[in-house]
Amino acid sequence: MDTGTKISAIAHVSLISWALFGGTFRSEPLPMPVQDISVISAEQFVAMTAQSEAPEVPTPTALQQPDAPEEEIPTPEPVEEEPPTPEVSEPNEPEPELEPEPLAPPPEPVEIEQPPALEAPEPEAVVLPTPPGPEAQPRPADKVAPEPVAPPPPEATPDDIESPAVSLDEGAENQQEQQDQTAPEEATDEIVTEAEEAKEYAPRSSPRPPVRPNRPTPPAEPEVAEVEEPTEPEPAPSDEAAINDALAEALGQSGEPSGPPLTAGEKDAMRLAVSKCWNVGSLSTDALQTVVVVGFSLTQDGKVLGGTMQMLDSSGGTAASAKQAYEAARRAILRCGAKGYVLPTDKYDQWRDIEITFNPERMRIK
Amino acid sequence: MMRFLTSLLLGLTILAAPVYAQSGPLRLELDQGIIEPLPFAVPNFVPDGPAATQYANDISRVVAADLTGTGLFREISSDAFISRVSSFDAPVQFADWKAINAEALVTGAVNVSGKRLTVRFRVWDVFSGQELGNGLQFAGTTDGWRRMAHKVADQVYSRVTGESGYFDSRVAFVSESGPKDQRLKRLAIMDYDGANVQYLTDSAAIVLAPRFSPSGDRLLYTSYETGQPRIYVLDVDRVKRTELKTQDGTMSFSPRFSPDGRSIVYSLIQGGNTDLWKMDLASGQSVRLTNTPAIETAPSYSPDGSQIVFESDRSGTPQLYIMPANGGEATRISFGAGRYGTPVWSPRGDLIAFTKQNKGRFHIGVMRTDGSEERLLTSSFLDEGPTWSPNGRVIMFTRESQGASGRATLYSVDISGRNLRPVRTPDGGSDPSWGPLQK
Repeated sequence: MDTGTKISAIAHVSLISWALFGGTFRSEPLPMPVQDISVISAEQFVAMTAQSEAPEVPTPTALQQPDAPEEEIPTPEPVEEEPPTPEVSEPNEPEPELEPEPLAPPPEPVEIEQPPALEAPEPEAVVLPTPPGPEAQPRPADKVAPEPVAPPPPEATPDDIESPAVSLDEGAENQQEQQDQTAPEEATDEIVTEAEEAKEYAPRSSPRPPVRPNRPTPPAEPEVAEVEEPTEPEPAPSDEAAINDALAEALGQSGEPSGPPLTAGEKDAMRLAVSKCWNVGSLSTDALQTVVVVGFSLTQDGKVLGGTMQMLDSSGGTAASAKQAYEAARRAILRCGAKGYVLPTDKYDQWRDIEITFNPERMRIK
Repeated sequence: MMRFLTSLLLGLTILAAPVYAQSGPLRLELDQGIIEPLPFAVPNFVPDGPAATQYANDISRVVAADLTGTGLFREISSDAFISRVSSFDAPVQFADWKAINAEALVTGAVNVSGKRLTVRFRVWDVFSGQELGNGLQFAGTTDGWRRMAHKVADQVYSRVTGESGYFDSRVAFVSESGPKDQRLKRLAIMDYDGANVQYLTDSAAIVLAPRFSPSGDRLLYTSYETGQPRIYVLDVDRVKRTELKTQDGTMSFSPRFSPDGRSIVYSLIQGGNTDLWKMDLASGQSVRLTNTPAIETAPSYSPDGSQIVFESDRSGTPQLYIMPANGGEATRISFGAGRYGTPVWSPRGDLIAFTKQNKGRFHIGVMRTDGSEERLLTSSFLDEGPTWSPNGRVIMFTRESQGASGRATLYSVDISGRNLRPVRTPDGGSDPSWGPLQK
């Protein structure tokens, strides 16, 4: 054997062995990435989430909680009608010689704003915000359950919900408040007469159920809230803040009204918040023909500033009907704003002064 | 390049700036509200002495019942009250009423001295902390406490809704008792809520269709006393009746007063044909208004007295027509499916209520005076004979149940179609006629 052959043999052997060993070494690291905890944990997650969703069943209890306050609502007292007593005798008119005498002006209501009394309801407000969150969630929950892959749905769902959830959320808060305090079930935005009832009975019953199931699901609440708040303000502020800064620098102005304008969603939320208390059920047919514009100012915590409310304009009715329409609008603004409207505080300058046009055209008896 | 971009950005910001700059207040438009009863509270009125306690409680209950009965208000039970009103002149603790979500608050006081009863009251808008209207005082006799309660409720109603009330009014109707094949009918009158029923005739003869005069002092009705239907006028206060002489050998029925109360319009059957006639009450002279081979009946004046709406089958089926008050060409206004009858012009003049029969069911409905915007408010085996509340907001009518044991009862319904509810009468009732607000 030549030394050359030996060298060649050794070299080959070493090459082959290196290739073999190298191959085994390579094969070992490969499974490592495969074992990535993500895959295993994902399945476990599915199991975990499946289990965690099972307990959701008891959520009905959560449902009942929001309902509970409703039960506390003072139910309308049954009408006490005195049993009419038939009198065969001659109709002798009572003749109560009614003398309407205007009374002296009422005692000055000493505005002792009783903070303790007001604070009592406030806890409700704290409780109430929670239900709106769940309203948005039910949909994601349903999707999660049927599909084994846990992670994607939650990521996707928030996106879908974002825009509606904002308006629903903020509006829902007030809606909840109002439902708690009044009798929401009687409220309606359309009039159904006995003659129409039979036809519409079936369809009317079906749409309601979906609303209630929406309330319960508790898990994603915080997430949705967290996601929404940053997402909406962030894009707008970043652009507009930069613009405003640039503008301020360029023009050297600093006294310009600060804060970006409200987004369409935020305006909708405010509109919804007031409309939930705008009760036109007791308005005369004349007042239902009257459009009024009401102006008022809000404090930084969203409460109506005392003495700022006024009717700016009215059209389509008499002075008397405008007064009734204005009073109904005032009740709506004050009632739903009793605990403060939820508006982005960084845009306070944009919503400090508000003008709302109340147009009852669609609410009219047709 | 960088410079160009910077200047471009700056240019854009300047252009965009006006869009973002706040110009005036935030403006919103609302076109969607809710329809629900307005929550109100009526704490028991404060009695000035022990003699007034019962009256104070009763009056505040009747006020609450009147308001709740409209369907526009919802009373908050006194169980929920946080503060008590112990003095009429004490300042109202609005926070306490806000907390239970009362939007309107009625406070009052009652004083009794001998037979004299005095009621004072105020209406408050709780959330604005302001008084609606001014405090008012009614004085009368203790016998008339119910009327005084209705007066107070009328005031509250009109101050909150902007519409005049209708609680201090009476309804004439036919009280029906006994089985269907042997029914006894008496003319009766009662408060709008079914209280204080008084009978004006005995049950010897069948009586039909009482109709109040515009001032509420007289009633027109049809009686079969002589075997033939005849029209009578009855003085409500003195319970004295007079027959209205129409032409001999004819049958007259379905009368109704003109808005000035000086004449009546009615149906007359002559030679097998039914037409409308008008009679001047002072002279007793009748004038023919229609002259067709068809049946014309159920006339009702417009509030201004210029037109008459009536029912006619000249097109083949009973339909509604409008003609000038002195006769002339009639215009058909009902074009829906089914048969229309008993039209009644609203005291506000804007609507006409009617009975409609379609597909085996009866409805009470309303339509505009040109026949547009027809809305059916009720639906049952047999609904008929609508009559308007003095403010044109509520309709009372007769509802008869099916079968041999069927019973006629009075019902009322809001013109929106909501708040359908029975009117409690001692016996059955039919043919209501709602009188005006009492003076």
